[in-house]
Parts: sequence; structure tokens; C-alpha cells
Amino acid sequence: MQPRSLQGRLLVLVLALVALVWLATAVLTWFDVRHELDELLDGHLAQAAALLVVQQAREIGDGDDDDRRVDAPSLHRYAPRVAFQVFHEGQLTLRSANAPALPMGEPGEHGLNDVAPGFRTVQIDGVAWRVFSALGAKRDVRVFVGEQVESRAAILWAVVRSTLWPIAVALPLLALAAWWAVRRGVAPLRRLGLTLAARQPQALSPVMLADAPSEMVPMLAELNSLFARIAELLSAERRFTADAAHELRTPIAAIRAQAQVALAETDGALRRHALQSTLAGCDRATRLVEQMLTLSRLEAGAAPALSTLDLSALVRSAVAEVAPLALQKQQTITVEANAPFEVPGDATLLAVLVRNLVDNAIRYSPPRASVRVSVARPDRAVRLSVEDSGPGMNEAELGRVGERFFRVLGSGQEGSGLGWSIVQRIARVHGVSLKTGRSPVLGGLSVEMDWPVGA
Amino acid sequence: MRILLAEDDLLLGDGVQAGLRQLGFLVDWVRDGQAAERELRAQPYAAAVLDLGLPLMDGLDVLAAVRRAGITLPVLVLTARDTVPERIRGLDVGADDYVVKPVDLHELAARLRALVRRSHGQPQEQLSAQGVTLDPAARSVQQAGAPVPVSAREFDLLHALMLNAGRVLSRDQLEQHLYSWGQEVESNAIEVHVHHLRRKLGAELIQTVRGVGYMLAREQAPS
Repeated sequence: MQPRSLQGRLLVLVLALVALVWLATAVLTWFDVRHELDELLDGHLAQAAALLVVQQAREIGDGDDDDRRVDAPSLHRYAPRVAFQVFHEGQLTLRSANAPALPMGEPGEHGLNDVAPGFRTVQIDGVAWRVFSALGAKRDVRVFVGEQVESRAAILWAVVRSTLWPIAVALPLLALAAWWAVRRGVAPLRRLGLTLAARQPQALSPVMLADAPSEMVPMLAELNSLFARIAELLSAERRFTADAAHELRTPIAAIRAQAQVALAETDGALRRHALQSTLAGCDRATRLVEQMLTLSRLEAGAAPALSTLDLSALVRSAVAEVAPLALQKQQTITVEANAPFEVPGDATLLAVLVRNLVDNAIRYSPPRASVRVSVARPDRAVRLSVEDSGPGMNEAELGRVGERFFRVLGSGQEGSGLGWSIVQRIARVHGVSLKTGRSPVLGGLSVEMDWPVGA
Repeated sequence: MRILLAEDDLLLGDGVQAGLRQLGFLVDWVRDGQAAERELRAQPYAAAVLDLGLPLMDGLDVLAAVRRAGITLPVLVLTARDTVPERIRGLDVGADDYVVKPVDLHELAARLRALVRRSHGQPQEQLSAQGVTLDPAARSVQQAGAPVPVSAREFDLLHALMLNAGRVLSRDQLEQHLYSWGQEVESNAIEVHVHHLRRKLGAELIQTVRGVGYMLAREQAPS
């Protein structure tokens, strides 16, 4: 379905309302005019009857009886629609040309005198008449003045018509004017459409619309804030791609070099070493890619739904996964998480966090070092801490930790520098504070995460 | 040819060192910037392969310090920093070549040979003197069009003398060209190699400058 044009809708609405108001005016006029017209014309009938009564009394007194049934002349175009009869002693003495011979009031049992004076509407030869009957001063004179009802309707119609015809002329003109006005009114919308259409897809600067009407300001603001969010997302995405490409160069260069060495090497032991190094390089690249994807998902994704889980159980199983690495380095790893501590969290993400923290502690501590993981509840918080007896970090390094791809140089470890970014991101998602420092017991790095516990 | 490799990544450093050794280079490998600067000041390397993201001292700082000290050896920067401004900066600071990881080891070797050749004012890859032709890429020696089999050390010795034709090289200098770290140098090793070369290529090729060292006469322009 074609979307309806705002302009067309406004136009139709305005015109329909105008026509409706006009029609209502005409209807009201009709009722009003009919009422006034009835009063006016009835008044005329009564007055005409009174005149006839007066005149008749004189003429009868004069005694000139020769030609009493003279038809009165017709002087006006409405005249044929108006008729009168004068009866004297039951005899029709005067009438208009169009008046019937019979009395215009129905005579009762006792003749004309039974007809009550006043107005009534009667049917004469199938035509409706409005009749006023009056009695003379002497009761033997009876006057009827009648008017065709149809003539009243004609007048009424003429009046109403005169109010209706301007609308027929004005409506098209009004339509034109309304079309122009509405078009002017929606011009900013059309301009916005053109501005947006003319944009390059990568242009994400705010839309500026000169003299935007106040109704459009919130829409523009929302649009611009959407642009800003998309721009931010895109730049994060671009940064990620650039970082990824950059950080993968060294592992790939290593794999390539080692593979090339293996290919050319004739000495069995050296060839074997090169091939093993190639595999190690592949593992490292895989780990890097996995971490980058984890981080990317964390940065792009919405906040996960947190459920209540037992942090101690989670820590025990996560540490179990990375423990083999510690055994390889003959390190001692202790877990103090016996009592259950319930915290809100996402189990998958928290497992990633604990694995990363413990993995870091193992990797950056020398062989035979100690790593300690504990869950405890000091006042008002459940605390997860990971400590090691490794070299720890100096102030500057602690400050930079968590920068993407930052790693302590010279550590001799093949870390990607992404583990910390992941840990920080997960902590933030959980609304948990992360504190790094020197372990008072083991002397190396200490990381503490506190879940506030409601009082 | 003895070169210095400065690379902190263990797998990559190991691979490049092994690969360049296969291609006939003597490679000393350092893992941080300070060691790189120290070694470049101390030893007469033919060239250096320098990573930029080095611990303790950034590769560019190493390069700047070495150039300030007047050391002109060819330096090839091998890095993951691939943007054009970074390349420009690297070359401006004093790099002779700028290669973005990953790199083919044969290409790396060819670039190093080209850098060394140019630094000695040699227009061609092959060196020749008095009817003897040395091909650094193929690591082969020919005399009058016929191949002459030589050992790796003999080749390196001849290569050093031909690159520095017309100049006297002391025994110490030659040893530094021929041996990387940890290799035992016997006291008369150079004399033995010179002896073998003279036997294979003729006694007149390498001249002994008494009390100083050895020299290979610069080829005279044909008269």
C-alpha cells in the first residue's frame, strides 16, 4: 500500500472540515429563515385580512352591490400565490382571481361562521395553502386570506441557496490555497528528506536543518543522537579491525618464518623444533583471535541478564580448567572457596573472567611460584581475590593495564594483552569494582573484585 | 655476513634467526632495545634487522641513538606498524628499509644482501675481482667461469674481503665478520681459511699485509 501523503491528508482534512462547517451553517440558516419567514408572512396575511375586513365594512355600508365579485388585479409575481375571499352573509362578495369559489376554510355544520378565526393550513385542489381567516366587525363578514405553502418553500430555498452557492465557487479556490499553505507547512520535512537522501552512507555528522520548526527539533535531536551512536559503534569496529590486523601480524610472521625454516631444514632435530614452533604459533594466534572475539562480543553486546549464582562453585570449576598450566610450571595453586557465596552474575562471563585472571597470574609468575584464589565475605561485600608471588607490576604498568593489547614488555610471555581488557569489561558489565595492587601475603600482583551485598 | 636481529617475540625471533642462518647469515639475536643499541655500538655488523616495539627501549629510539653515534650500518626495520606515517617516520629516523610483518625469509635475506651491497658501493649483486666471481645469493664462487667449491667460512671470508676490496682487514675484524656469539674461534682460524682459499683460487688473490692483516686488491679498470 502506498503510504499516504501527509500533505494530502492535511488537505483533505481541512477541506472536509470547511465543507462541513459550511453545510452546518446552511442547515441552521434554513431553520432560522423558515421560522422568521413564517412569522413575517403570517403577519402579512393577518394584516391583509384586516385591511380587507375594514374595506369590506365600508363598501357594504355604501350599498353599491352591482359588482361585488370583481377580481382583484394581480400586481406582483408572488400575487398568483396569494389569494383572498370575502364572504358577506355567507355569499362570496370579493375574491382574488386565483381564489377558489368555495371558502378556503372548511365550513362547519352551521356554515361559515363555525370556522374559527386564525391560521390553519388547508388542502385546496391538492395544493397546500396557509390560510388566515378573520371576522368582520359585524359577524356577517368573513375574510379569508391564503397563501400557497409552496411559495414559502421557494423563498426559503432561495435564501438557503444563496448561502450555498459561494461554497461551490470558494471550495476549489480554498483547496488551492490550502494546498499551497500545507505545502509550505511541510516544507521542512521535505527538506529533511532531501538532505538525508543526499548524504553519503558513511557521513555520520549531525543533520543541521536551518529554521527547523519546533515540532521537528526532537526528531532531529533523536536522529543526530542515533548518528552519533552509530558513528561510535563504527569507529569501535574500525579500531577493532585495525587492532586485530595489527596484533595478528607478529604471530603470523612467526608462523610463516618457522614454517619456512622447517621447509628448508635438513637437520631432523632442527626441523622438528621449527615445526613445533609453527604449531605453538598457531595456538597463540588462535588464542588471540578467541580473545579478540570475546572482547568484541562484550563491547558490542547488550548487558547480559544476571542471575544469582554460587561464586565459590564457579571459581572452583574455572580454576580447575587452567590448573594444568600451573602444574606444568610447577606452581602451587590454592583455592579458598568452600562456603557458598551467592552473587548476581552471568555464569559464562564470570567463568571467562576467573580463567583470565588466574591464567594471567600463572603466565606472568615464574616457575614454582604460588597463586592463590579466594572467595570471602568481608563486611558488606563478597570479595573474589587472585594473588600471585610473581613480579607484580609497577605504578606505570598498573595504570596502563587494561589498555587493549598492553602487556608488560620483557615478560617473555606470549600474552595478547587482551585478557585484562576482557576482565575489566566483564567487571563493568556486572557493576563490580576491580582493584589491583601488590599482594601483602604473596608479594606479587593482587586483583580484588567486590560484589556489594545489600545490608 | 653477520647481522644483528632485535626482536622480542620469541617464536618470531627464533624463526627469523634459524631462517637467516639457513640462508648463510650469521645472526646474533637480542630481545630488547638496550641490548640492541649496546651490540650495534660494539660490533661491526654488516646489517641489522630491527623490530620497533621492543622492551626497555623502542626500536626507533635505538635507531636514532645509533645514527647519532655515527654508525652507518644498513638497518632494516621489521615491524607490525604498517601505517604510512609510521613508515615515513621509520625511514626518516634512519632506517634503510622498512618491512611490515609478516615477511618471506628469502625476501628478507635478499633485502639484507641488497642493503649490504649498496652500503659498500657495489652496484651489482655479484662481486668479482681478478677473475674470481662471488655470488652472495647462491653462495657460490667461480673462477674463469668454473665453479670452485668453498666452505661456508671460506665463503664468508672471501665475501668480506671482496666487499672491502682495496682495504686492509685485520684478523680481529675478519673474525668478527666470520663468527657469531658463542662460536669458538681458534687462534689461527683466519690463517687456515686464507691458506685454503689461496690453494683453491691462486696465491695472488689475497695479499698479506705484514703485522696488519689481509687485503684483496681492487679490480683495475680494464686498460
